[in-house]
Amino acid sequence: MAKYYDELLKLCGFTDRDITQEGLRIEKAFQKLELGPEDMMNAEAWVRQHHDIELLGVRRILGLWIKELVDLVLCRDEGKKVVYYGFPTIAGPGMAIKVAAPEHVYCSCPDAVLCHSLGQIFNKLDPVLEAGEQNGLPPGHGLCTLQTIRVGGMAKGIIPVPDMVIMSSYYCDMGSKTDELLRERYGQPAIVVDGSMDSRWGEFPDYRPERVKFLGAELNKFIDKTREILGLDLTPDIWEKAMAFNKAVRVRVRELTDLMKADPQPVSIAASELATLLITASTGRSVTEGPEVIATLSKEVRERVRAGIGVLAKGSPRVMTFLTSFTDPSIARMIENAGLAMPVMFNSATLRMRPLESTYTTIGEKRAEVQLEVGMFHSSYGLAKRWAEVVEDFKLDGSIWGYQFNCRPSAETSHLIPKFVTETTGVPCLSLEVDYYDNRIYSAEALKTRVETFAEMLKSRKAEGAA
Amino acid sequence: MEALDRLSDHLSTRLLDLNLAKQEGRKIIGYTPGGFLPEELVLASGAIPIGFIRGGNHDMVELAGAYICHWIDTFWRAQIGYGISGDDPYYSIIDLLVMPITDNHSRALMDVLDDNTAIEIFPFGIPHTKDDPAFKYYLNGITRLKAKLEEVTGVEITEIKLKEAIDLCNRERELLREISLARRSRKVPISSRDFIALGHGSFLADKQVMVEVLESVVKELEEPVVSSHDGPRILLTGSTLAQGDSKVIDLTEKAGGVIVIEEFAEGIKPYWESVNLDGDLMAALADCHFARRVPPGWFRPGRERLDFLVKLAKDFDVAGVIWYQLMYRESYKVESYYFPDILKKGAGIPLLIVESDYDSAEIETLRTRVEAFIDTLRR
Ligand code: SF4
Repeated sequence: MAKYYDELLKLCGFTDRDITQEGLRIEKAFQKLELGPEDMMNAEAWVRQHHDIELLGVRRILGLWIKELVDLVLCRDEGKKVVYYGFPTIAGPGMAIKVAAPEHVYCSCPDAVLCHSLGQIFNKLDPVLEAGEQNGLPPGHGLCTLQTIRVGGMAKGIIPVPDMVIMSSYYCDMGSKTDELLRERYGQPAIVVDGSMDSRWGEFPDYRPERVKFLGAELNKFIDKTREILGLDLTPDIWEKAMAFNKAVRVRVRELTDLMKADPQPVSIAASELATLLITASTGRSVTEGPEVIATLSKEVRERVRAGIGVLAKGSPRVMTFLTSFTDPSIARMIENAGLAMPVMFNSATLRMRPLESTYTTIGEKRAEVQLEVGMFHSSYGLAKRWAEVVEDFKLDGSIWGYQFNCRPSAETSHLIPKFVTETTGVPCLSLEVDYYDNRIYSAEALKTRVETFAEMLKSRKAEGAA
Repeated sequence: MEALDRLSDHLSTRLLDLNLAKQEGRKIIGYTPGGFLPEELVLASGAIPIGFIRGGNHDMVELAGAYICHWIDTFWRAQIGYGISGDDPYYSIIDLLVMPITDNHSRALMDVLDDNTAIEIFPFGIPHTKDDPAFKYYLNGITRLKAKLEEVTGVEITEIKLKEAIDLCNRERELLREISLARRSRKVPISSRDFIALGHGSFLADKQVMVEVLESVVKELEEPVVSSHDGPRILLTGSTLAQGDSKVIDLTEKAGGVIVIEEFAEGIKPYWESVNLDGDLMAALADCHFARRVPPGWFRPGRERLDFLVKLAKDFDVAGVIWYQLMYRESYKVESYYFPDILKKGAGIPLLIVESDYDSAEIETLRTRVEAFIDTLRR
């Protein structure tokens, strides 16, 4: 007998077999999430309006996010050990835990999962945000909305209290402090992985070896503590396997990113975002099904490129953003509708990495060294420098520094990054205050005027350049 | 208080004195006031430490708006304003600005000044946790600082010089502690306003003069207390209490509350611990300024400070706590949600949260809230 969720699931790439196999779990999870028939209808309309459902790849990625959501909501009931980490995060620790006990552990960044499922598919994140606001992170104080979603999810009982949390204390203060709030309430054990972003403006790509040693020692401590708390031994073999899994998904995302460089831009950046964030948010479905599903999308996109099909006019000015909204695909669409092609997000760009001959011996130090080389966890200047490089490498006509207003590491660069990027590349960079997680105030409509003005400027620059 | 008059006189000519000292070749080392810079190192290098503790000025906060969005902590935005406008003359005379990088708000100041001014900055990171790697990182930071100070001043920081400087700073801390603890008495011998003035003074004054001032205060406190304030006893806490930011103190006093103890991460120099003089002195500095210091709200786990606040509340027999929150300092905002419960359980007293962006428009709301709170405590 047909169920109220069948249509939506099919729209999101589920086969009849998938529905039969996962049906009971999905039903149980939807009950917990209070998602009923009306929500399915709304979700169908939302997905049809904002996602490129002509592409099976997009539909299947949406389906993966639903599966990840179900896994998250049910993991405790299904007897799994639950581990959460934050966003952004150093690649490796979460995946290593998952690899060490694939059947017995659920490990993810739960708030990012909720954004991509309850937000991007159901457009029903507001009650979670409201619960977060009522349970410790009130609005109006510039508190991170991604964390508000985590607090709200736990307060509403839709995501379980974890057995362990990995605090990314090396980047922002908000994530760790929120974990403290949750620890006070639920008693969840937490491992603090600390670091210190004390390099000066202008210092990247150099850094002091002590920074590697400190962050490395903290990551090594994480390995010891994981043994203590979860009884899992994160051996070098496990790390290697974890990094290989990570790479397998990354390679697929890279293929997609390369295809996005085509003119006209073959698919909305919103689709590419759905694929890219899988690696960051999930250690489960991203690995088991991610590479194949992203490959499906890439195949379709390749066909579009061959046929010269695009979602924007050929020759549109090309820009980069840091991310696009985790929750609301209409924001990326609005930018594209303004006539700006977005072939790349900073988060999915290939960086100019210098060859690394590491002299470090421990797992933690090796991971830490890579992170400092990448730049974002090095310093704000590291990020600015990388941003400028990507603008040059992708030969972009502009970039939009969408800073997350309630995320301090991002907000502190509101003026610095646009200034640096414009000065070093000669390419305009718009400073745009955004909220990637909550569209109640920072909606597509609210951002439209600034984006359109920027788009007009880029178009006339481009026209002048061509003349 | 005579001693306070002496401090005030000393500070009124401080800038002049510093300019003279500079002409004579002494170096002036500015620093941001989170208590993580061991002044001992600066003194041992023969340089003069000056803490940037001015705040409370909304014009400076507004000025910062040209360089950074407004979602950064008020005090640190004000520092951006002072640093760039030159409105704080101390910024103009320093040879080096030492910045212990505590959280993203202090990092914002470093980045903006680095990009927009010629001020030479020496940052060193303060970890947010107190484990062994963190201790080593802090120790490494102050060891690099020692080398930097030697380079800037051309003076070798010897064991003897460092020991002398530690002695002097220990004396300052001891005296501040003694004065502060005297306020446990029912008859409060010194007002919070005066105590805070001493604390702020200690960031700016010549260390020897400061110690003499504090010794005089201690002597004055030995006199019987003639007039004492009675009213609900208050613990005032928060992230930053800058010089010039007296709104909440004024309102509390006007409403009849008596602040008997303060706990702030920035603006009140940590005075509870002294540096141990046995063993390696650099490690001893790290032990006092990092490992044993009451951690600010951005440390994780942060329970140590919250438990310390409960202890202070009991030791100083306060009737209530005023949590003075500057806008957008997220660590404190998050803690302010769960601390009232901890306080209630631990000390059985209530807490009032007030917030400021150094804006004069806030005053009436603040007044109403503070008055209502003090009234409740009175009843
Ligand atoms: S404040 Fe920024 S870095 Fe921290 S959790 Fe939120 S979005 Fe992530």
